[in-house]
Amino acid sequence: MLGVMYALVAVGFTLFFGVLDVIHFSHGDIFMLGAFAGLTVLAGLKAAGLGGALLALPLTFAVSIVATGLVGVLAERVCVKPLARASPLMTLLATLSLGLVIRESVLIFYPRGADPKPFPQLLPQGGVELGGFVVRYENLAILGIGLAAMVAVDRIIKSTKMGAAIRAVAQDPEAAQMMGVNLDRTVDATFFLGSGLAAVAGILSGLYYSEIHFIMGVTGGVIGFSAAAIGGLGNVYGAILGGLLFGVLQTTAAALIPRGSEFRDVVAFAVVMLFLVFKPSGLLGDKSVERV
Amino acid sequence: MSRDLAGVWLAEAAVFALVVAAILAERPWALGATGGALVAAGALVRFVPRLGAALVGAFARRRAAALAGGAVFALALPLALRSSPYWTFVATLALLYVTIGQGLNFQLGTAGVINLAGAAFAGLGGYAVGLATVAGGWPSWLAVLVGPWVAVTVGTLLFVPILKTRGHYLALVTIAFVFIFNILVNNLEFTGGPQGIKNIPTLSLGGYAFTTRPALAGVDLPAHANFYYAALAMAGLTTWVLRRLHDSWLGLALNTLRDDEITARCCGVSVTRGKLLAFSIGNFFIGLGGAFYAVMVGFVSPPDFDFGYSLVMLSVIIIGGVDSIPGVVLGACLLVPLPERFRFLHEYRLLLYGVVIVVMLLYRPRGLWPAQIRRYR
Amino acid sequence: MSLLEATGLTVRFEGLVALDGVNVAVAEGETVGVIGPNGSGKTTLFNALTGLLAPAAGEIVFLGRRLVGLEAHAIARLGIARTFQASRLCLDLSVFDNILIGMHARRRTSLLDFVARRGRFLGEMRAAIERASHLLTLFNRALPQRGFERVGQLPQIDRRRVEICRALAAGPRLLLLDEPSAGMSPEETAELMRDLRIVRDEMPGLSVVIIEHDMFVIEGVSQRVVAFNYGRKIAEGSFAEVARHAEVRAAYLGTEAPHA
Repeated sequence: MLGVMYALVAVGFTLFFGVLDVIHFSHGDIFMLGAFAGLTVLAGLKAAGLGGALLALPLTFAVSIVATGLVGVLAERVCVKPLARASPLMTLLATLSLGLVIRESVLIFYPRGADPKPFPQLLPQGGVELGGFVVRYENLAILGIGLAAMVAVDRIIKSTKMGAAIRAVAQDPEAAQMMGVNLDRTVDATFFLGSGLAAVAGILSGLYYSEIHFIMGVTGGVIGFSAAAIGGLGNVYGAILGGLLFGVLQTTAAALIPRGSEFRDVVAFAVVMLFLVFKPSGLLGDKSVERV
Repeated sequence: MSRDLAGVWLAEAAVFALVVAAILAERPWALGATGGALVAAGALVRFVPRLGAALVGAFARRRAAALAGGAVFALALPLALRSSPYWTFVATLALLYVTIGQGLNFQLGTAGVINLAGAAFAGLGGYAVGLATVAGGWPSWLAVLVGPWVAVTVGTLLFVPILKTRGHYLALVTIAFVFIFNILVNNLEFTGGPQGIKNIPTLSLGGYAFTTRPALAGVDLPAHANFYYAALAMAGLTTWVLRRLHDSWLGLALNTLRDDEITARCCGVSVTRGKLLAFSIGNFFIGLGGAFYAVMVGFVSPPDFDFGYSLVMLSVIIIGGVDSIPGVVLGACLLVPLPERFRFLHEYRLLLYGVVIVVMLLYRPRGLWPAQIRRYR
Repeated sequence: MSLLEATGLTVRFEGLVALDGVNVAVAEGETVGVIGPNGSGKTTLFNALTGLLAPAAGEIVFLGRRLVGLEAHAIARLGIARTFQASRLCLDLSVFDNILIGMHARRRTSLLDFVARRGRFLGEMRAAIERASHLLTLFNRALPQRGFERVGQLPQIDRRRVEICRALAAGPRLLLLDEPSAGMSPEETAELMRDLRIVRDEMPGLSVVIIEHDMFVIEGVSQRVVAFNYGRKIAEGSFAEVARHAEVRAAYLGTEAPHA
């Protein structure tokens, strides 16, 4: 479950890396923004008396995806692309700071931004018993939506023209341009796609935890980046795998270690660190070569 | 020649007077007048052609005198601020950030080793002091001297990841580290959990407790002035040491390592030794800042050392200028007091830091006081 | 007696054999030219010699020491210096700094000296800057005056010279030059050849291995030429001999197509 959400964020990271060779550190805060955008839509719908799940949920997703996607493109235009040619340190610092700006903006401008916000429970409650475990409908729904999103991404990347353009630019930007691919538009599209995915993840997170908080993007971003790195930066399936693995890692740690729920993140991050040291190219391989 | 001296010292006095006035001005009109004067002075230097060049030349020719003048004014600052213990505290905080910033700059700017765990290393220094004094009964001065070494030692645990990863992977490793540090101190018993460690005894040298109100030239100063002078000595020493290391074979090797690792290796620079040295030296000074902070405020707690502070430390360096020793001083002196001065900005402080960093990186990536060519003086 | 001897050197990149059982020797004071089409393994040879690449098989002996397995910085300290195909200078650092880094291995002062015994360190640095100036003067009398400018502001030919000075600054026994004339006009190439002769005069015991595509340069400076193709040495001898060699001609000019 968690893994699915992490995977969605991780895919964003990996897509951005593929296309621009940058790590977009504010992506985690985009994920948070998606959740808040969703909450705002829901609040609006509720105020307008349209709180029914059947209508509210898809609408929330749709609006949030579009809004967050656009913010993602804006972030890319302002902050990421101009610095993409400069040293990676610059982009790193710039996107970190942009994340800070997004975070603080929500804190300051959203009413009572510092408090965790309850997220409405829109999914069917209750569950079904399966061999001793209770499988909650809610979790199934989240899993389903998450998987649907991943399948959608897969389709987009494999079967659409834009998807092909994204893959081309990821492999070799110059060659892609020579084949007629519009670099700027492709980068925009990639950021829209990644940010939209993060929005889905954000809303799912709200549904899962029944609350959202303005700092959820910090941990979310670090986890998403870690997951993408584990899977191999630039490799979409690696990102999905990494996200799922991370979720499993966290849940296992929480179960096995005494006081595990507090320390599960420690274990997960420690594993990530070990991973980066010994297998930095990730499980499924990344893209990076330096020639002398 | 004495025109140079006069020019340098007059300029420094003018800046000093304007800064103090800006800090202390109570009424809006006074603040406005000071602000106006600052802007006018800046415009004068910028747009009157010979004035700017003449000043720069004078400062270049009279470097020792300029430094001496600066030192005198720095020593006199608490006198000027004696009516406000709060501002004495802020000035001391700025000096702490100078110390920490120089350390971080040595890692990031000089050697190109990305360290986003600055807050954790400061925290290690701070918590080491807390544990040594409260749990171990050590005297504060000893704890402050030993605390930084804890930061260095723990830093070497990260040594292998530092060597084997670079760029964004290294950033991720250090972010993971600061998160781990924060979760650990928040949840472990012996670090006091979410409450942290309280009642850290104040600094006391030879029986003189830093909580006593000192007197300078017959004038009573707030108790905080003690910490100000100690921090001034610490920041001064840090800057002095790191400038000398920067303008040496080590600094040159680290710059080359940063810009072109393959070239550095082919010139006989050991990547392992270079990065480890830069990382450790930087962590020492970052830990020193954290240790001093602990005895200054008397307690340490997890929120004092979370990831956000790593970003504040970074912004100090970026605004001043990456790999620029004077830049760090300028960055700390600008970034720490300004949000305090403009109280209405306080809520927006972090937001502003973020915006400033982005703007600086886009339009002035080399900082306000860019690194200069090495002259080996 | 060879200064450097590489035997059976093999380098593989994930299935691609970049160097295949190569045997190369360099004598003291000799200048050897290395030619071959792109991708024939010339730069790979340099990378293996300087420790940037680990060979899959083979041995390299330099001044009686075995180099395989040593770190690049250790090999540099033994006395091998090189330039790179794509200019590798720290553009934001000064001209002097870019040469001084070449003397890194020769420094005698320590961290303590940098901080506490500054006078001693400054004395060593002054001497080092003098040496850097001297090296620059060999090529262009006007350069030392620009010693404290950013090297990025120098024209291309002077930047090449700075790189060569950096390599010479350490006083190496073996100098590896990787396509120094790349991107140069004929006038600049002539200046380069003059520079190389100056180097030979200045340091008569220095052995040089130079990779070049410009046959004019190779002919002008080498005493012996080695030709590569597909990671193997295909010819060796004087320039005239190698230029006449059938396989060398085939590598550069191609063979007659058997069918239309």
